[in-house]
Amino acid sequence: MTRLGSHVQLLLAVATVLILPLVMHSGSLASEVLIYALAVLGCNLLLGYTGLLSFGQGIFFGLGSYALGIALTRFDLPVLATLVLAVVVGAVAAMFVGWFAIRQRGTYFVMLTLAFSQMFYFLAYSLSDITGGDNGLLDIPRPALGLTGRPLLELSSPWQFYGFVAVCFVLVFWALLRLTNSVFGRTLLAIRDNEARAAAVGYDVKLFKLAAFAISGGVTALAGAFLALMTGIAPLSSIEYHTSEMILVMTVIGGTGNLFASVLGAAFYVLFADWLSTLWPRWLMLLGFLLIAVSLFMHRGIWGLGETIWLRLRGRPPIDPDDGSVATLGPVAPAAATGTTANTATATTRSEKRP
Amino acid sequence: MNRRHILKLGALSAIPGSLLAASRAWAQAKDPIQFAAPVPMSGAFAANGKYADLGMKLAIEQYGQVLDRPLAYTVLDTEGKPATAVRKVQEIAQQKGAKFWAGGILSSESLAMGKEAERAGGIFITTAGADEITGKDCNSATFRWSVPTFGAIEQTVRPLIESMPRAKRWYTITPQYVFGDGLLSAAKNIFKEKGIEHVGNSYHSLTEKEFSGYLTNALAAKPDVLLILNFGSQSSDTLRQAVSFGMKTNTTILVAWASGLEQFESLGADLCEGVYFGAQYWHGIDSPLNKDLVQRTQKAFKANPNYSLAGSYICTRIMIDAIAKAGTADPAAVIKVMEGMKYDGLTGPEEIRAQDHQVLKNYYLLKGKAKSAMKDKDDYADIVSSGQSFLPIDQTGCKI
Amino acid sequence: MNVYLLQVVNGIGIGMLYFLLAVGLSIIFGLLRFVNFSHGAFYLLGAYFCFQAVQWGLSFWLALLIVPLVVGACAWIIEKLVLRHVYAQPHEFHILITVGLALVVQEAVILVWGPLGDNVATPAALAGVVMWGDFIYPKYRLFVIGFTSVFAVVLWWILEGTRLGSAVRAGSESTEMVSLLGINVFRVFSLVFALGAATAALAGVLAAPIRGVEPFMGIEALGIAFVIVVVGGIVQSVMSTLWPEGARLMIYVAMAAVLLLRPHGLLGRG
Repeated sequence: MTRLGSHVQLLLAVATVLILPLVMHSGSLASEVLIYALAVLGCNLLLGYTGLLSFGQGIFFGLGSYALGIALTRFDLPVLATLVLAVVVGAVAAMFVGWFAIRQRGTYFVMLTLAFSQMFYFLAYSLSDITGGDNGLLDIPRPALGLTGRPLLELSSPWQFYGFVAVCFVLVFWALLRLTNSVFGRTLLAIRDNEARAAAVGYDVKLFKLAAFAISGGVTALAGAFLALMTGIAPLSSIEYHTSEMILVMTVIGGTGNLFASVLGAAFYVLFADWLSTLWPRWLMLLGFLLIAVSLFMHRGIWGLGETIWLRLRGRPPIDPDDGSVATLGPVAPAAATGTTANTATATTRSEKRP
Repeated sequence: MNRRHILKLGALSAIPGSLLAASRAWAQAKDPIQFAAPVPMSGAFAANGKYADLGMKLAIEQYGQVLDRPLAYTVLDTEGKPATAVRKVQEIAQQKGAKFWAGGILSSESLAMGKEAERAGGIFITTAGADEITGKDCNSATFRWSVPTFGAIEQTVRPLIESMPRAKRWYTITPQYVFGDGLLSAAKNIFKEKGIEHVGNSYHSLTEKEFSGYLTNALAAKPDVLLILNFGSQSSDTLRQAVSFGMKTNTTILVAWASGLEQFESLGADLCEGVYFGAQYWHGIDSPLNKDLVQRTQKAFKANPNYSLAGSYICTRIMIDAIAKAGTADPAAVIKVMEGMKYDGLTGPEEIRAQDHQVLKNYYLLKGKAKSAMKDKDDYADIVSSGQSFLPIDQTGCKI
Repeated sequence: MNVYLLQVVNGIGIGMLYFLLAVGLSIIFGLLRFVNFSHGAFYLLGAYFCFQAVQWGLSFWLALLIVPLVVGACAWIIEKLVLRHVYAQPHEFHILITVGLALVVQEAVILVWGPLGDNVATPAALAGVVMWGDFIYPKYRLFVIGFTSVFAVVLWWILEGTRLGSAVRAGSESTEMVSLLGINVFRVFSLVFALGAATAALAGVLAAPIRGVEPFMGIEALGIAFVIVVVGGIVQSVMSTLWPEGARLMIYVAMAAVLLLRPHGLLGRG
């Protein structure tokens, strides 16, 4: 995959944020696109950049919702403070989960994140005095943004709210761009590609993974907080396994190669689900087929598809998805993540030409 | 044509009823009054959602128009998720100005939508069960047609105790959360009053499917009556497993919060025979409006109405009638009309209590019949008794 | 005393079904290193095919025999046509494609049989309960315990005592070596996947008279299977360092312990 300059990516993100109000009628839906884009960015940081497949993103998403909900309903904090609180809560929780989960590799890592996801769901359900249990946290207000007590910006209308989310989104996107292009980001990639080598070179792999978790958790929690602010509720379903699953699905659909692909994945899923559900109650079946198609033909997701088309139009040959060159940011079959058996399987499948 | 056929046809058809009704609306140049049915159309409660959609469709098509304006509706798939439900009703209130919402199958989504209705200046009427909907989370925009936990227990446990004076030992199986506790405490109050020995209770989680452990505990306590306080597929699983443990021979079983026809269909007559069920609605109710509904449903879908369909139908009708009475489609005025409104409902005369927006209606005690006694394929049960029981306003915790 | 006995027997009964579910998943993961999120879908299909067979008038016993074979055949085809192509891909694509498959199967079931759910009658020969003093237990559940035990022995024999089993076990150590020995590794892969799916389907058929059938039953099954496989895996890796020969035995001991002490699963409420 060609290296996509961060300037281009930032431009694309800003363009998206400006285009959405022009093509969409619903401020709530547009906000939801950006909210899930944030969550997918968090997931992509772990998956695409660190090679960690986490089924626990729902934990941080839900915790972000709860943190904001509790802060606004019980403590009446200003909105900006509650958002910061949500990010902190998400980061801390992610470090907690990550600390345990990174002790395992490959599938056991995935299973651990799944197990934690179930545990947090169980906690949220049981501690109903704090979380509202099955009913969720209700009556979350949407006060105006203010500084030192004076209201500056109303958030009550959907497009006002969208404007606020859009600004925060672009800021977070820019920050993540800087992060992934920094030495830190490149170290993560090195860990993703060959953990043993990164460790041998002297990087504290565990620390980097933990940091990636923290950032991912913070960003995902921010997304959850925005959703709670928009809908006025922090429901139990935000911390459910299904949320983790869908965030992961959006991440892979979009493509794990760069950050803007995550925005594409979220936008595609949210809009697709919303539109299809009005046409056919069995729309999940179409989603299922889409996932199968992406796994078979579109490994680099929608972004990869778009890139292939673009290159074809320009008369250039398509990119080999297994190009292992350093300049690529694509998901090369990570040797470290799948373990030796998969490598052997790869070797076998590649050489298979039996009569 | 049986129920499954309707569902299959509905599932296969790419055009939901709402689009058809809407197209008729657009054909006339007048500005239609927009309704919305926010119900789960995909996910674990898809069956309820499908029937709720049909119920609203029936009502909308029956009236066609009110106050010289055509009626139109949209079905919104909440996927059983409160945040999705809120976002979609937020949206439809803005996009189409749809201020009249009838739906919400799950309590969590209904509570959330009720709050949003107040914010959006709309009206939301639901059949969900949680007491808080017309209790501590009540508000001016939310109305509820179904009977909450107090009435459900009063109209099933009490009549059963009275008809079985020698059944003194009762065992309960309860889902561990607010709703389950509501049913349980209502039951315990009656136990105390009537001198019933509550020989044991088993709490379980909302996702439990294996009840054999609890049932073996129940068996050990040798109860006269097994009172099942969970609902939906959990109550079906509990009943099925209780019967497999031979509990029907020595114990009377009461499923206090059953869904009616849908549930009987999925269980089958053999399992349901001799079991008592509490229900919000039964197609066998002898009231003029219900007989009319049964006729209409037979004509439109060649089947009897079940609870989800009937509930959605009556909720939509209530709003349409209130709009007509108010002479305007302004939600605030319609709410005023709905408060205290009396009408001939599906369960007989019904009234919307002004102080908490709870519809006062009957709750039914049904008893499952033997297969050989069934007059037709839907005749699973007979109505044993019915009545209205509601907490007085000062005890509901509602302050509108 | 009797209540305790009842709880133990019941724990074993539930455990056997869960064991069936887990064993299929574990075989697939062990050999194919393939994270199969569609395992619950085959359980679902097993249950619904059984329901349909009984609707068509077939006896439950016939269904018990035929349905797992049918589902196994479907799984074979799916593996050959679809799943095989992602083996070489990173894990996320295994998960993605099987999640997609599970969704397709679930919605297809709703399309064919409706979203309501249904009942499968216990076969007449096994209806009713066994009574032994105060000990009351459904005959059908006792049958499930017995049948699954026999099946477990048969499976063990296949894996330990036959050439196919040796190929499967060797393959989980090194597919390269196995293919160098002249065995068509791909056919083994397909067979293993089909076997895993057939086992899940068998669990579905057995579960149908106990739980009924409904389109979302696959989700719960998948969760349970994963927990047990993981617990088993952890126990195995621990035991491999302590007592290698007994490692496999200890998986089952641990699983039994888990099921007895926490019959609602590690994470469920007691």
